[in-house]
Amino acid sequence: MAEGLYKAEEEMMLGIVSPMDFLLGILTFYSIYLMLSISLNLEYGYAGIPNFGKVMFFAGGAFTIGAFVTRFVGHIIGLNLSNYYIRNVILATEVDKYFSSHPHLAISIFLLTLMMSALIGAILGYIASYPAIRLKADYLGITLIASGEVLRIIAKNYKPLVCGSLGVAVPNPFVFIDMPLRGVVQCLVMLGIAIGCWYFVEILTRSPFGRVLRAVREDELATAAFGRDVVKIKMKALVIGSAISGLAGGLYAYYIGVVHPDDFAPLWTFTIWVMVIIGGMGNNFGSAIGALAYTVVERLTMYYKDYIPLPFNVVYLGYIAFAIVLILMLMYRPAGLMPEKPIMTINFEAIRKRIYSRMAKKTSSNSHR
Amino acid sequence: MVPLSVLIDALTLSNLLALMTLGLSLTYMTLRVSNFAHGDFATIGAYITYTLLVFYSVNPYLSLPFSFILGGIISLIMYVLILRPLQRRGANLVILMVATVGFEVIIRNVLHIYADTVEKLTNRFFRSFIIRDSYIPFMGSLVPQVTITSTCIVISLLLTLYIVLTRTKLGIAMRAAIENPQLASALGIDVEKVYMISWFLAGGLTAIAGSLLPYRLPCNPETGWLILLRVFAAAILGGINSIWGSIAGSYIIGFSEVVGIYVLAKPPLNLPTTYKPLIPFSILIITLLLLPNGITGINWQKVSIRLRRR
Repeated sequence: MAEGLYKAEEEMMLGIVSPMDFLLGILTFYSIYLMLSISLNLEYGYAGIPNFGKVMFFAGGAFTIGAFVTRFVGHIIGLNLSNYYIRNVILATEVDKYFSSHPHLAISIFLLTLMMSALIGAILGYIASYPAIRLKADYLGITLIASGEVLRIIAKNYKPLVCGSLGVAVPNPFVFIDMPLRGVVQCLVMLGIAIGCWYFVEILTRSPFGRVLRAVREDELATAAFGRDVVKIKMKALVIGSAISGLAGGLYAYYIGVVHPDDFAPLWTFTIWVMVIIGGMGNNFGSAIGALAYTVVERLTMYYKDYIPLPFNVVYLGYIAFAIVLILMLMYRPAGLMPEKPIMTINFEAIRKRIYSRMAKKTSSNSHR
Repeated sequence: MVPLSVLIDALTLSNLLALMTLGLSLTYMTLRVSNFAHGDFATIGAYITYTLLVFYSVNPYLSLPFSFILGGIISLIMYVLILRPLQRRGANLVILMVATVGFEVIIRNVLHIYADTVEKLTNRFFRSFIIRDSYIPFMGSLVPQVTITSTCIVISLLLTLYIVLTRTKLGIAMRAAIENPQLASALGIDVEKVYMISWFLAGGLTAIAGSLLPYRLPCNPETGWLILLRVFAAAILGGINSIWGSIAGSYIIGFSEVVGIYVLAKPPLNLPTTYKPLIPFSILIITLLLLPNGITGINWQKVSIRLRRR
């Protein structure tokens, strides 16, 4: 993961990071981490599916953007797409130029490809639900880790997908906005999408579907006895979670500007688990808090790593600290910073009583007149 | 035909895998948790051997006892300080797995820091290092010494294990404690001691395999994680609850990887050899989906009945 933050890292080495850019960096990464942690919370916190292959769905979304955007736009505007493996950076700049003069097309392509990456994530989730329904927790974890590695190795070696180990450049759909404002707009768009996803999951988990998910997590047999299709419910949770992860992958690819297969190492999965466990499983506010804590600490270590006179990269120390915090949390506060709370639903009984009493009053006062 | 050198290479890999898989099975049998930090014990072994070689010019084969002891101690620390308290607090399987992943991240990043620091301070390579081996001519091809050593280690280990597990009091106690902990402790067997011995052995054996790894592939702090999935593939293919099955599984995985990529890289397909890890990973996924109990878990009676009915 550390290799992939080219853009941010380069800027930091040049020492041109203003507080504003730093804040924007935090918010942008926060939106990606928020989407990933909220989807893991839906999958593990609510549905009880231990998804140890989060990075696979995330990578699926990013690879979709990397493989598709330049080719699609290049096809529309009639670029020569031969030798894509070598020329993808040039082609991406060409597409950038075209985008800068056609904002409408840029925005529609942006939205369309994001939908595609969510769809690819959902399809991967649907495929992953086959083992998820059948295997025990640990076997499922191993299967998903292995599948993620299979996807990464294929992407690294099969050049037509994302140009192999060199990676592929992704055009920026926001080039039509001038530079200082562009980062702000991109950040706000990403944050908006992330908050939208969070709100969607929050509503979903408060709905009857969320209650069924919890029931499945607690006792599959009892849920099935009440006539619920456990297989279908688990599948739905995994598909929704994976679609959100795929969307996050797409946004990440657009933000970083390059898709690099080695960037999608299993360490991603670990960091997302750290966020969810620190924040509190089964609590959407908790996941948001956990993601925020992680993002701030990670960005700070990334920012200050060149100022700290140590013979090694401080990022490693950060990972060790997170792992220790994770283990301590598991031991002494397994419910996380914000433990799961009972879901508040509308108390229809109280409302009905109130309405009836009011109506009764009205009718009685009417009769008095 | 497959040349002898490829088979020798496959044998070396399989021997190393067998050592690691044996350890994984031992620990799986105690807590029923798949230990994701298992591969990193091997990396620790590799770094111990390389450090001793570089700074004290110790023969790598003579550093095996050091790696055995240190790997065992780290494995024991993991069990005593992390997994046992968590299990006593009633953590479920997933929580234990997440804890092992956390410990894996700790070990890996400590090794990263170690490698970086030593590289900066002494100007020597501490990443992607290999150790050169001496070769012995055999049947027209050269056999590396590591093949012979690892084969000897695996064979002697299997013999010792067989004798210990079937003929000695400790071995029988171990089997009893693993089979049925409650009953064993009721009969006066110290189950905790048995578990601790299993974890120590697991870490030690894996570290020995790790010490021999630099002979075969360039090692860096990530090596253990990369090899871990192969170890899981071998353990699950053989049936994770069976020691002998895990040995068989590691030979199947080792040979199918090395010989398989040799065949696939030949003219009809011409695949690049970088696809090599896909072979054990796909075997792993297919085994988990079709045969989750492994080859030793197949109920042969049922299979034969089914075949007869047809």
